[in-house]
Amino acid sequence: MIFKIAFKNIWRNKLRSWTVIIAISLGIFGGLAVISTATGLSDMRQNNAIRTYVSHIQVHDSAYLKYSGLNDVITQEKGILSFIKKHPNTEGVSTRLRIESFIQTAGGTSGVILNGINPEDEKQVTNIAEKLQQGNFLKTYKRKPPILISEKLATKLNAKIKTTIQCSFTDANGLSATGVFKVVDIFSTSNSMYDEVNAFVRLEDLQAISSVYGSHEIAITLKDEEQVERFREELIAHFPEQHIASWRGIAPELGYADKMMDLVMSIFLVIIMLALAFGIVNTMLMAVLERKKELGMLISVGMNKRKVFWMIVWESIFLSLIAGPLGIVASYLAIQFFGTHGIDLSFAAEGLRSVGLESVIFPTLNANYYILISVLVVSTSILSCIYPALKALKLNPAETLRTA
Amino acid sequence: MIQASNIHKTYNDGKVKVHALRGIDVEIKEGEFTAIVGPSGSGKTTLLNIVGGLDTPTLGEVHISDTNIAQLSENELIDFRLNHIGFVFQSYNLIPVLTAKENVEFLMLLQKRDEEERNERTTKLLKAVGLEDQINKKPNEMSGGQQQRVAVARALASKPDFVLADEPTANLDSKSTANLLDIMLRLNEEENITFVFSTHDQRVIDRAKRVITVEDGKILSDETR
Ligand SMILES: Nc1ncnc2c1ncn2[C@@H]1O[C@H](COP(=O)(O)OP(=O)(O)O)[C@@H](O)[C@H]1O
Ligand SMILES: [Mg+2]
Repeated sequence: MIFKIAFKNIWRNKLRSWTVIIAISLGIFGGLAVISTATGLSDMRQNNAIRTYVSHIQVHDSAYLKYSGLNDVITQEKGILSFIKKHPNTEGVSTRLRIESFIQTAGGTSGVILNGINPEDEKQVTNIAEKLQQGNFLKTYKRKPPILISEKLATKLNAKIKTTIQCSFTDANGLSATGVFKVVDIFSTSNSMYDEVNAFVRLEDLQAISSVYGSHEIAITLKDEEQVERFREELIAHFPEQHIASWRGIAPELGYADKMMDLVMSIFLVIIMLALAFGIVNTMLMAVLERKKELGMLISVGMNKRKVFWMIVWESIFLSLIAGPLGIVASYLAIQFFGTHGIDLSFAAEGLRSVGLESVIFPTLNANYYILISVLVVSTSILSCIYPALKALKLNPAETLRTA
Repeated sequence: MIQASNIHKTYNDGKVKVHALRGIDVEIKEGEFTAIVGPSGSGKTTLLNIVGGLDTPTLGEVHISDTNIAQLSENELIDFRLNHIGFVFQSYNLIPVLTAKENVEFLMLLQKRDEEERNERTTKLLKAVGLEDQINKKPNEMSGGQQQRVAVARALASKPDFVLADEPTANLDSKSTANLLDIMLRLNEEENITFVFSTHDQRVIDRAKRVITVEDGKILSDETR
């Protein structure tokens, strides 16, 4: 009966109830929209980083990490590679020879890391091959060995496709070495900082010029990224001499960004819940004050205060039970839609690129957030109607009945 | 039986003190049909509120059916009113979102009576007040006279010992007033229901069996016809 009266009571002032319902749903919608966009951004940043330069796991010689010595190549390369290639969770593995080099064209100079790679292997690990202007991933070339540079570097060096580039560095024997390459294609990832300092050449070309016959880095991507830590532990167990790191260890800033995001989201949720609470307190207070006489009558004829209290509480629960699903369904549909079609922010593309983001964002939301929001909305609405409900209990029936 | 002895009520309205009741002794027995009359401001509402346990006297004691209601806690008092006293108000005060039937049923639900009894009694009471064809109407779909008849049916639903009505006919036209009085008198005579009501309408006073006149918070006269 109390349910019934409470439910009917909320439709007495339809305009007010709908205003509150819409306000609550919009609050939920806004909150989930922000959280899903932020999650989408963060996921994208993480995936971009993994797919362009971090990969899931990297193997280095312990000394290489300390001194970046040209000769600190991975000692057990063959064994490691065959172990990784046999592993069922391996998606791709690429070996790289990385040499810091001075790079120059007729139009400019710069410092760059030359990555000597095997294009077919690298394709399995990073997506540089997909970021090319012409799709020539060190494949077609004439006499001079091919090199890939980024758009950013190309601008700096005043280079384009077919420009000849000279790279100089110290070789394995401490002598100065020079390689002359021809730009065969230009890439551009979503991370301009990375782009500026990386160039790609064929592994065998770089080995020949530098006389370093080995590699400094093995990068691995996995089929199931949840298994990263487990894979890493297996590798460490088999090859304790090597330095083996997962993406979290290589690029801890990706994880910090997540933590930061969590904090921002919590603040956002608190703000939304506060707005919701004010809305409900206000509405229910009005509903109580408007119905003083009726509530006084109910107490007079024998409805005890506990029931009066719960009647008011149920009214606001009903409001949030209508508003909650409305907001959640709307958010779900919007997130599904934009999650597949993406939100196009190309007008801000440059700014986004400088922090490793692309201009189309795909919002995504963990199912837990829907549950969290539902629980928060219902509990906030219950908490915030307590004050108005207590107000109703303080009514003196004899007094309220006197008022016309 | 209601016994009120030496009832004083002083309202402290800011700095002004209003002595609404100044020493009232009154006894109301089962089966009475009693009018409390007096000019506006004489203390009728205050007296009915105190006698019905809606308000507490500044001095004096009220015993209803052998219970000293001053000794009940707030919640016990609400329960006591639910089970012992029926109220009818000047402005009907039905629950606006419920139908006539649901309004009558309401107190029985609070009393946790079973469905069969509720239905039977609701039908019987709405018939007794002549509203058997209006059971599914909401208050705002009924006339004032009809609403007040629903209010009488509601007051009786909880099987109270007494029905207290503060100016029940003040908002009604003369035809509805006569009609409501007919119904109340018949219930009083056929079912031995006790009615205590305040009024200053002479046509209502004429039909009362006992008339208590109050003035300035005191009983001026008390005659049983
Ligand atoms: N809550 C109150 N505060 C102050 N004075 C009141 C209050 N209620 C009633 N009074 C005063 O008490 C007196 C008796 O009022 P009431 O019992 O309503 O009389 P009646 O019902 O006969 O018109 C009046 O003078 C009225 O102004
Ligand atoms: Mg009065």
